[in-house]
Amino acid sequence: MTREVIDETGRRVAVPVDVRRIVTLAPNLTEIVYALRAQDRLVGVSNYSDYPAAAKAKPRVGMQLNPNLEAIVAARPDIVLVAAVNRFETVDALARLGIAVYGTDPHTVEGTLASIEHIGGVIGASVQAESVVANLRKRLDALKAKLVGVPPARVLFVVWQDPLTSLGTHTFIADALRFADAQSVVEAKQDWPQISLEEVVRLNPDYLVFASGHFGDAGARAQRLAELRSEAGWRELTAVREGHVAVISDEINLPAPGLVDAIEQLAHQLHPNAFAQAPQPRATARQSPAFAPVFAAGRLHRTVSRNSCVEANACAR
Amino acid sequence: MRPLTPRRIAGICLALGAVLFVVVVFSLQVGAYPIAVSDVALTLLRGAIGHWSSIPSSYRLIVFGLRLPRIALGILVGAALSVSGASFQALLRNPLADPYVLGVSSGAALGAILALAWLPHTAWAMQGLAFLGALATIAAVYFLGRRKGQLDSTTLLLAGIITASFLSAIIMFLMTTVSGRDLRGMAFWLMGDLATPPAISLGFLFVILLIAIGAIYTTSSDLNLILTGEQEAHHLGVNVPRVKLVVYVSASLLTGLAVSVSGAIGYVGLLIPHVMRMLFGSDYRVLIPASAIGGAIAVALADTLARTIVAPTELPVGAMTAAIGAPVFIYLLRRRFA
Repeated sequence: MTREVIDETGRRVAVPVDVRRIVTLAPNLTEIVYALRAQDRLVGVSNYSDYPAAAKAKPRVGMQLNPNLEAIVAARPDIVLVAAVNRFETVDALARLGIAVYGTDPHTVEGTLASIEHIGGVIGASVQAESVVANLRKRLDALKAKLVGVPPARVLFVVWQDPLTSLGTHTFIADALRFADAQSVVEAKQDWPQISLEEVVRLNPDYLVFASGHFGDAGARAQRLAELRSEAGWRELTAVREGHVAVISDEINLPAPGLVDAIEQLAHQLHPNAFAQAPQPRATARQSPAFAPVFAAGRLHRTVSRNSCVEANACAR
Repeated sequence: MRPLTPRRIAGICLALGAVLFVVVVFSLQVGAYPIAVSDVALTLLRGAIGHWSSIPSSYRLIVFGLRLPRIALGILVGAALSVSGASFQALLRNPLADPYVLGVSSGAALGAILALAWLPHTAWAMQGLAFLGALATIAAVYFLGRRKGQLDSTTLLLAGIITASFLSAIIMFLMTTVSGRDLRGMAFWLMGDLATPPAISLGFLFVILLIAIGAIYTTSSDLNLILTGEQEAHHLGVNVPRVKLVVYVSASLLTGLAVSVSGAIGYVGLLIPHVMRMLFGSDYRVLIPASAIGGAIAVALADTLARTIVAPTELPVGAMTAAIGAPVFIYLLRRRFA
């Protein structure tokens, strides 16, 4: 029994009504399947599917750019979920083998929420998908409410440091930055433009933003700052001199629920004054906005002392 | 060295054919999904006599849907590249010549990049435009490589190298300016990759390759003479311009077809002809068929290793041929002078 759906890339796909075995070919899709609590039906994931940690134990079917078709076939999937990072050749080869392939292609944060709902519909987890999306939307709305009237931070998002690569206006991350009340200083049509340090000096961003798998480690930010301060060129940037460096989770790269965590982390690091007590981003996000005025007086002082602590760490190194 | 008789050529081909058969059976058996030799044999037998329904569906998909077509493609590509390399080495009288020396693969790569940028969701586009790019390059190099109305080896070589480097410059430019998202498949194409099924049927590809290899084979006695010197060959009655034209067009076509369906797999076209020369002598009457089968063995085996040694992760076959090819060649080269 199958039903026909049209996926996000416009392909017609005959999807089994009862999906019991799922293979995901990109880390964000793995994360979404876990968020939809369908992980028991997940029989194969692409390499580097590291979120959540439990996904590391799932059978691997190869790299997202050239997955092992044999391993996918051997997993006997009812459906294979693919993302824009996968190659069209892979989709075509799987379809020729008679395997249902559902393609997702979100370009924005809104698109990511829609993707979660679409996947929920395809694998028969619509109710769970709606609740996941409603929760994410609530957190984004809460963030927006906190940041009302706060001028956006002008940031340089560093995708890669050598050669220095940032992002274009049409990328998914550029959209995510807006939700954290940040604006990329690089305006390029290309998705991953290489820029010179000279150009960065001219653009003079308020903050440098890095994504890292180690963002949660104590001192990750201080360490990054210390590295930048020891490098010629970088240490002359205003943002580096003032210690304006944000390190957030590399989930900012993934169109999946964890993206909202990364957006919250960024908002908290860029606009500490807009939030009340903010040692833990997640905890703060759930806090009632009513608390904000109560702590308003102590906020500035705390922020300053934390920054000087970060700088002290940097100097100690 | 013993005289080259048709019997000796047949013997060499049979021996190499037997090695190829063993490689095919081995390749059919190994992979991310383990299948016992007996099950492979049973599946093939049932397929051969048409008992499709009695084959388990996952075996049918893996053996007939994935492994067999991929091995067959590897065999065709390996034979084409290797014969093409042997032919260019004679045509240009240069032992360093390989199938890509005259820029055919660069033209194909340019076509592939344009296909990725313009038609990213069309299955045949990449291979189709790659082949058109190869054809355009073959024609351009032909017209640049003539002197006094004939193909001149030195002029041809220089024209090919300059064309290749010019095309590479355009490719570099496109790869840094066109959106990275569209070109992510390009790295695999440039290293050579047999995982993507060809846009044309394997049978059709086989027939065209056979015609091109056959055309080159008819010139093999003349190539032997041309290698001793074009003047001498001319005095012995060889129609040198005609032989060069046939070899240039056929060998370029072999390269163009091979790179269109599999990308630029390195080393095979350079090394296999030399290995065959060391093993069986440099007479083109044996070198052409031996290179064809030797190339088939090399690529089929390299691809099997590429898809199994770190399974389920797949390596591009080009990385494998380079990693194995160079040490093997150095070993054979040193042994020859020992």
